[in-house]
Amino acid sequence: MKILVCIDDTDNLESRGTGDLATELAEELQNRRWGQSLFVTRHQLLVHPDVPYTSHNSSMCFEADIAPEYLQPLIDYASDYLERESAPGSDPGLCVAVVDQLPDQDAVVTFGRKAKEEVLNKQMAYELAGQLGVHLSEHGGTGQGVVGALAGIGLRLGGNDGRLKGWLDIRTREGWATVGEILSQVPLQGVRTMDGAILGPEQMVAVDDKPKAVLIDGGTYLMVSPEREACAEGVRWRTTPRHQLKKF
Amino acid sequence: MWLINTQGEREFRHGHEAYGLAAATARACVRFCADVEDEWTADEERSCYNCRLRRWTRASFLCLAPAS
Repeated sequence: MKILVCIDDTDNLESRGTGDLATELAEELQNRRWGQSLFVTRHQLLVHPDVPYTSHNSSMCFEADIAPEYLQPLIDYASDYLERESAPGSDPGLCVAVVDQLPDQDAVVTFGRKAKEEVLNKQMAYELAGQLGVHLSEHGGTGQGVVGALAGIGLRLGGNDGRLKGWLDIRTREGWATVGEILSQVPLQGVRTMDGAILGPEQMVAVDDKPKAVLIDGGTYLMVSPEREACAEGVRWRTTPRHQLKKF
Repeated sequence: MWLINTQGEREFRHGHEAYGLAAATARACVRFCADVEDEWTADEERSCYNCRLRRWTRASFLCLAPAS
């Protein structure tokens, strides 16, 4: 069955990032042969004086396909893991949702969108989690991370938010590659312009250092922008600069 | 470059999009410490926007490095 796992608020200024912990959880799920994990996404939540956060207020989510009998062992393992690995002073939260058992997917997607625009609180998160039957738990500090953990589930489920953790390792010839070559190297749905057009396989793209993928329309895409100073004849696109990916 | 807010914290005066200034400030800063890559928002690696000692605010960011 398809599940989503999201964690939030596990770090402090000196510790490892929440994304590293999410990656380790995803890997451990596979190491224990409980199922298959997919990529981790980062979801930006509201930055507001009334929202406590360390430095950026983002949550980290991954999808996995597991056998039903491993759901509770996974929740138990993740709970222990967060209590063990979260940084002093952090307020970690964990959310695990079985996607096909969600009675109202729109409700959690809406909660995720709201968490980017409004100040939400733990009571709101626990009430919705109870209505939907998803696991939501806190593992230290104030437990405020439950808000971001539930919101991250909604944003990942909505399919139109977040950047993938890490960067794409794309081999090029002198700084560029065709879309077909890119898609043969990295598991993406496509290469997409910031206007929403999908590039054909013959299109040539200049690839900058550490290119990032984003989640749009439920798929993973490498974003490109028009190239003004082509590095080779026929190159009309360049991977979109990181500062323009902030909105994802 | 910096505003001192009512809590005595240093806030970058130039907002979220002053990439050149944020990079120049980080190059001159002995306390710069790169955040995890997933939290970078600037293309220049050494930028206040990519420093783990910045704390985003609605208008800009606070520098949490001890004042030298």
